[in-house]
Parts: sequence; structure tokens; C-alpha cells
Amino acid sequence: MKQTFSHAGVAIVISCLLAGSATAQNSASAQMSAAEVAAEVDRLIQKELTATGATPAAISTDEDFLRRVSFDVAGTPPSAREVTLFGLDPGRGKRAELIDRLLASDDYAETWARYWRDVILGRATNMRAPFVNGSFVSWMTESLKENKGWDKITTEIITASGDVREVGATALMFAQEGVSEDIAGEVSRIFLGIQMQCANCHDHPWDSWKREQFHELAAFFPRVSVRPIREEMRLVTYEIASVDSRFDPQARFAELQERAEGMLRFFDRNKDGKLTKVEAERSPLSRQFDLLLERGDKNKDGGLSLTEIKELEFPMPPQVGRGTAEHFMPDLSNPSSPGTRTDPKFFVTRATAKTGLDDLERREMFAKYLTSTSNEWFSKAFVNRMWAELTGEGFYMPIDDMGPERSASFPEVMQLLTSQFIRNRYDIKWLIRTIALTETYQRQIRTVEPGGTPFASATATRLRGDQLYSAIVKAMGGENVSRGNRPGSMMAGQGMYGRNRDPRDQFSLLFGFDPSTPQADITGTVPQALFMMNSPQINGQIRANFGTRLSQLVQKYRDDQDAISELYLMILSREPSDKELKICRAYIADVGNRDEAYEDLMWSLLNSSEFISKR
Amino acid sequence: MTIARHDQLKANGSGFSRRSFLHQVSAGALAAGTLSLRDVMTLQAAELRKQGKSVILLWMGGGPSQFETFDPKPGTANGGPTEAISTSVPGIKIAQGWDQTAKMMDDIAIIRSMTNKEGSHPRATYQMHTGYIPSGSVKHPSFAASIAKELADPKFDLPAVVSVGATQGAGFLGVNFEPFVVADPGSLPQNVATSVESTRYRRRLGLLDKLEGEFAERGGDVVVENHRQLYGKTSKMVLSSELKAFDISDEPQSLKDSYGDNTFGRGCLLARRLVEQGTTFVEISARSSQANWDTHQDNFERTAENSAMIDPAFATLIRDLKDRGLFQDTVVLWTGEFGRTPKINPRGGRDHYPRVFNAAIAGGGLKGGQVIGASTKDGSAVERDPVTPGDLFSSVCRAINVNPAKENMSPLGRPMRIVDKGEPIKALFG
Repeated sequence: MKQTFSHAGVAIVISCLLAGSATAQNSASAQMSAAEVAAEVDRLIQKELTATGATPAAISTDEDFLRRVSFDVAGTPPSAREVTLFGLDPGRGKRAELIDRLLASDDYAETWARYWRDVILGRATNMRAPFVNGSFVSWMTESLKENKGWDKITTEIITASGDVREVGATALMFAQEGVSEDIAGEVSRIFLGIQMQCANCHDHPWDSWKREQFHELAAFFPRVSVRPIREEMRLVTYEIASVDSRFDPQARFAELQERAEGMLRFFDRNKDGKLTKVEAERSPLSRQFDLLLERGDKNKDGGLSLTEIKELEFPMPPQVGRGTAEHFMPDLSNPSSPGTRTDPKFFVTRATAKTGLDDLERREMFAKYLTSTSNEWFSKAFVNRMWAELTGEGFYMPIDDMGPERSASFPEVMQLLTSQFIRNRYDIKWLIRTIALTETYQRQIRTVEPGGTPFASATATRLRGDQLYSAIVKAMGGENVSRGNRPGSMMAGQGMYGRNRDPRDQFSLLFGFDPSTPQADITGTVPQALFMMNSPQINGQIRANFGTRLSQLVQKYRDDQDAISELYLMILSREPSDKELKICRAYIADVGNRDEAYEDLMWSLLNSSEFISKR
Repeated sequence: MTIARHDQLKANGSGFSRRSFLHQVSAGALAAGTLSLRDVMTLQAAELRKQGKSVILLWMGGGPSQFETFDPKPGTANGGPTEAISTSVPGIKIAQGWDQTAKMMDDIAIIRSMTNKEGSHPRATYQMHTGYIPSGSVKHPSFAASIAKELADPKFDLPAVVSVGATQGAGFLGVNFEPFVVADPGSLPQNVATSVESTRYRRRLGLLDKLEGEFAERGGDVVVENHRQLYGKTSKMVLSSELKAFDISDEPQSLKDSYGDNTFGRGCLLARRLVEQGTTFVEISARSSQANWDTHQDNFERTAENSAMIDPAFATLIRDLKDRGLFQDTVVLWTGEFGRTPKINPRGGRDHYPRVFNAAIAGGGLKGGQVIGASTKDGSAVERDPVTPGDLFSSVCRAINVNPAKENMSPLGRPMRIVDKGEPIKALFG
């Protein structure tokens, strides 16, 4: 698959070079509307499909489009009524209007906030990360409602400080427990689509990043610390704080090293280029001078020269999450040594920061570099992620591993969306609207031959836990599926910190997955299947008596064709096909007990692969 | 246990039977081709050695105090009021409150020189379940998952890894080796029992399968195929007669009493039943029974309560495994994420101490009745023969014929060993 892409990629790059790429230049210069960009995306994709002889799939039916776009934009399926009304609406612009309506809903902000929660906490090294769950989702929901730009949201995440239960934007710093290398790895993966963390320990095996560059990135974050807050010995929360260099002996030492030239000029009274014990008596080094001399006086001349002071090492940080004044790249051949002090530098644009900046200055500076329009990776990573989430496949796969030595499928499309996303000031709703408006997005699903051209059709993908929860709640007529039980208790690896959440979060523990995972790797788990098949929460609603939604339906529609159609609309948001009607009617006749047959039918639809998929 | 497995186990335990072996290999394997009889014999013998091997982890979450378990220091300031008691092995003394375990000391090896660096619960718990410290770039598979990948029989109806209480997941090894978490051991796990009788359940599965065909034709064939596999596997378990392993009601009351009438005791009995049935790895978490070893306050009262619960279950498990002929093939490991400070704090508690802690290991053909390593007189350091978590995991691997250096490929294409660093503890192997 990958190989085919890169071949296609190379072909496109070449044709692009030959054609002089007029459109790409156009798109870079002027701001375009969502509809204009969508049309241009379709034109570029069609050009490639024609070139490779691929026939695009037909545009999806209103039923399929409505269900797909409702899940994608608002995280929830349409009701049976909405399906019917949308189908009957003769308006030509109804799909565009629907997209706008969904983008304006509260559901939009909530479901995408939970999406980002899963992205950021999905790879937490801090097992206590769920502490920040609630506050992150509320903060992100508000941010998305206001339609804050992606640059603004990113900046807030990078620079967040404070109580993790109050300041939701602290999620990433908290999830990585304030460890500078881990923060650097995740920041690069999520906001740049670049996986650099291998370079923590060695030069990257197949990308051009050097180990040093990774540690220069980490050097923006050493002063981030995670502090437990206790009340009467009881742990109540954590806060993201900054190491205050005034009180940190290591930081003070680092500052002294910074000012070594001046200090030497001032205290080296005999101007022999070294500081002796007598000379150091009134200097800030006086107290530890014996120790420093013992460690640092390499040429044993009884004094410390400028180089010797600068090369002095101090012990490694004591504990995870405490933060240190400066970042040190470990010496791999001598792990117990402090390593090499490394100063902040952003590997993409090679922008550096002044040495010795305090925590917030560093992080603000980094956020500026990261979100700068001259750093295209920032925009590319977001575009690739959104495109993949909506269409089921990214230009780059996996979506968070884009390079630099990878090529995109459809690089012109990627380039157009990237530059227009920048032009439109990182407007998230603009991007989602644009993608959803494309014919490419609106095509029917189809079996994709291995190695076939992507985006000639849509792909069936698995619903996120959050979307599935909404689907179940809607199918059952608004009942809370998890009340009185804890499906989450079946989930492994959640440790002791995942309790006492609302039913939706409980459900997410069982059905959630890291949204950066390629679709091919998401195949479901045994406890998930057991929950859908046998749980009392589901089965309690699959009863043709007891006043359930099913019982109302079975009584109201005495004609089987009507009843089956209603059931399909209720669960799959579409009418059954003729063949399905036939299967169902034969089954009802075969069972001989109408109520029982409908219970089985509803069970089968809820347990179908279509129910848990976006189609 | 299926008859075939049982026979193999017997053959394995009591020497190799050439006849039954040849019977199993059968004409098919030989007719297939290129291997000589001798090659096939060798290969199959290696496979046979692996079959029936299992691990039971008794997880002492919170970090058990070594002074109040298997490394008491009576009569010293750091030792506190805890007395030492004699065991069935002359010269080996353990802490009071472990009377049942003391009687089984011939079968148990105590390690008093465990040493590590991680002093925070989540990180150390992660490390003692995966062999790795947490990293943002990769979700390490649990040790249980890695072992199951090597040993589990794919045809087995039940999950290869079962855990009483929450535990670490299979990481990048995926769904086949995810632990099946049981909250209430002794009865059928949540959502395993069908809500309708099995004929109707099968009928539903039949209808589902027919309806799935439509979505597959409409272009959902990939998700349909995945779904079919998952539902096949799950419904096989739901309908399996082997599920009865989860239900301990037919066990003699005296045996249940002996394990202890609590989640931990029932979990240990369940572990024996599952291992007998063919499960590769079972973990029982002390926390699932409200035994918390994180004794920052009132260390002596709380460790006594915990010991009263864990001691009978641990001892009975060993005896029961022996009675059933499973002990030779089952490693029982007792450990937590770290130990506790030698110094008793002003609240009568002990704090986290990864520098020295203790563990106990038994079964799997390992040499029992011995103490490995020692802590210093005041308990503040390892005096001799330090054992790292990697050494401990390597020892378990060797006992069950799993190569600890075997590499699995991480999603980012980095090969990762089952156990990163470490050497098996020589003294455990006769």
C-alpha cells in the first residue's frame, strides 16, 4: 500500500514540476472560501483518478451522507425523523446547509473536545492522567465553540500552568508528567506530525533528525514541573508549575556559568585567567569552591579557568516531574554522568531561544515558533489529521508520522489545503467545512483493492467510543446505557484512577481508542463484543414488552415491512434494502413468534458491523 | 482441560513418551514434506516442553514492606515490633503472620535483594508489569502478553491472559493477548452469560451473519471480516464448555475455606482452575480484595491484616497446584512494585523504597527452600547478589522455556526484547 502511494506521489511530484504548478501558486497567494477550495480539491483528485484510470464511486445517498456527516461533525447519528426530512428536502444546497448547522451545534464542540482528549491522553506516560480528563474536555469544548484558531489552542496547551483540575489546557504537560523528553516527543507528534522520539536515544534510523535536535526541542521544556497539592496529607490535585531558578540550586549554578565571563573579570584580581580560592572568597562560588575545584580543575593548577567553570557538571535531576533548570542530553556511554547541557532550538526553522530563559518565556517562544506561518508542518499535521479522520485515510499514513522522508499521496491537494488553512487563519470549522463539501468526502463506500488509488471512494471506518455511545443512546431512545453498571471495570490497564466518571466516560474506557491509530489496527476487543452481545444494559432494551422503544414499535406497526423499516431507521439511520427485508421477513416467519423475532432482529442490528461503523 | 492437552502435560511431566508423540505427529506432518523424522521430533519436543507452562502472578500492589513479609529484622530499630517465625526449612525465618506460607517454604525461594530505581506507584507498577519504564512513543506489552504470545494455544477457547483486578494491557501485541479482567472471581465474568438460551443465541448469530452479508457487499467488507473474526472468537468463548473453569462452586468447601473467603482467595482458586484448563497467565491483584500495601501510616496493623488474607491463599495455591500435578509447570510469583523504607516514620508507617525489596517465587521446577541475596543489617541496602526486575523476569522466562531475548517489533519498527536486560538467577536452577 505504502509503496504504491510513494510511487503515485513521485509521479505527481514530477507532473507537478512539469506543469509549472500554476494552481499551487494561485492558492498560496489568495484566500479562498471553503466551497472554492473543495471544488479545487475535487478537480485535482479527479485529474489523478483520470490519469490512473480509476473510476470514482458515485456520490452517496442522502441517508448515507446524513449519517456520515452527523457522526463526523457532531459525533452523533441522525434520528429516524431527521433521515426522512432530509431525504424529502428538495433544496439543492441542503448538504452545505446541514454541514453549517452541525458545525454550529454544541455537539460539534463536545465530540471534538473528546476527540482531542483521546489524542492527548492516549499516549500518556503519567498513569494519573485521567485526573485532567474533565477539565480538558470543558476547556476544549469552550475553545471549539468560540472557534478559536488552531494556533491559539496550541499556544494555550504549550504554555499552560496551574491546577490540572481547573486549567484544562495543562493536559499535555500533565499527561507527560512534565518530563521534557516525553513532552518534546508528543508535541512533535501531535502538532507537527513528526515522530522524533526515537532520536531520544540515537540518531533517527531512517529520518534525517539527529539526536541533538531532539534534545534541543526538549530544552524548551525542562522547567515544567508537576506538583502534587495536598490538604492535610491528602492528595487533592496536581499543578503544572515552573521550576523557579532562584530557588533551584542547579538553576543558580547554571546562571553562574552563564555569567562566568563577567564574574571572572571581576574577581580574578591578578588577571591570570583563573579564579583561585582566595580570589573566590567574595564571589558567589565561595561556599562550594573546594568541591568545585576538586571536580573542575582539570589541569590541576589550583584555580578555575573560564573553560573549566563552563565545563563544570552538576548531578542529574532527582525525580520525575520535578523539573530542572536546564536540559541535559544524556551521555549514552556513561548514563550516570549528567550529560551535555543543551539549549533550546527548534529543529524545523532552526530558530533558537536565548539561554537561561525562564519556563514561561521558553514555552511562549516555542509556541510562537511552532505556530508561525513559516512552519508549514504545523498546518500540514492538522490538515492531514482532519482529512484522515473524515475520509478514513490520510495523505500520509500513519497520520502522525509524516516525515521528512515520506511522500504524500496527492501532494498538490495536501499543499492546497495546507496553504489555505494558513490563509484562513487556522480556522478549524473552515477546514472541516471544506473537507465535508468535497465530492471526495461525499462518495459512497466501496471495497478498495490493495494498492488501489485512494479517495476514489469513501472507506468504512470504525466509530470512536464517543460516537458509538451516542449511537447506542439514540437507538434506545435516550436511555443511559451505562446506568447502574460499570462497563469500564472490564477495561484493563486503567489502574486505580479511572473510577467515578459519568456513564459516557465509563463507556469510553471500554470502547475508546487512540484516534491516531491507523484504522487497519482497530479491530475491536473481546470485552467490547461481550458488552454488545450480552450486557444487561443492551439486552434490557431488546425486549418487545416492558415499555421499551422496541415494544412501542412492534405494537404501532403491525405490518412487518413498516416495522422492519422503522427498526432499520432507528438503529442504522436508513431504510432496509429489498434483500434485507426478505431476510428479515423470512426470519420472522421462521421463528413464529413476532415479539421474539423482533428482539432477535434488534439484537442483530445492534451487533452488526455496520452499527459500529461510519459508512 | 481437553484430553489432548492433559495427555501432553502428563507426557511432559513424567518423561517423554515416544509412542504418544508419534501418534500425535501423525502421518500428516511427516507427509507434508521436507523435514526428516528426526527434525520433526526435535521441533515437536521443543513445543511440547512449552505446552502446559503457566505463570500465576500474585500482585502486591502498593509496595509490600519487606520487614513485615519475608525479610524481618526483629530486635532492631528499623525492624519495629515485627517478630520472625521459623519455617519448614531450618535457618529460614520470615515475618509473623505468614504461618501457612512458612509451612510451604521447601517449595518457595525468597529473594531479599530485589533492587530498582522507580519509587512512584504508577511508573514502578508499569515497570514491574512490562519490564520497561513508561515511554510516550510505545505502549509496551505486559510481560503476561509477551509470554502468552509465545506459549498460548490459539485453539484454546478462553483468554490466554486473565487478571483478577485491573492490570497492564497487551500494548502493541494487540487484542489476542489483552488480559481478560475479572472483577468478581468464582462466578462467570461480566457479560459472558447469554441473556437468552443457547439455541436462540445461535439463531441470533445466524441472523446476524446473514445480514452482515449485505453490508459487506455495499463496500464494508473489511470491517465485516474483522467483525466476523472477533465475534467468532467471542461467541466461541461464550458457548464453550470450558467456561465452567470460571465457576468455583463445585470445589470442595474445605478447599475454598483454605484459600480464604475473599476476592484474593477465590482469585487464587480460580487461577489454579484456569491454569489447569490451559490459560497461560493469571494475575491476582491484592488490591482487588482491598489489601493495600501502601502503608504510609499504621504499617504494622495494616500489614498484619493484609498478611492474614494473602498468607493462606498463597500457601493453599502451592499445595493445590502440587496436588493436581501442575506445580512443576506453573511458576507462582509474589511481588509488588517496590519495598518500604527501613526507617519507621512518625505516623508508624513506612514510605516507598525501591532500593531494597523482596519477592517470592515458586514452582515451574525452580529450586525452593532457599533465600537468594540479602539486605544489610539495617535493611537500607542490598548486601549481596542484587536482583533487578529484569533478572527476575528472565528467571521466569527460563523456567517456562521462553527466550527472554526474543524480539517483538514495535509499531515504529523498533525490535524490542521480551525482557530488556537481565540474567536468570542461577541459584534458582538446580
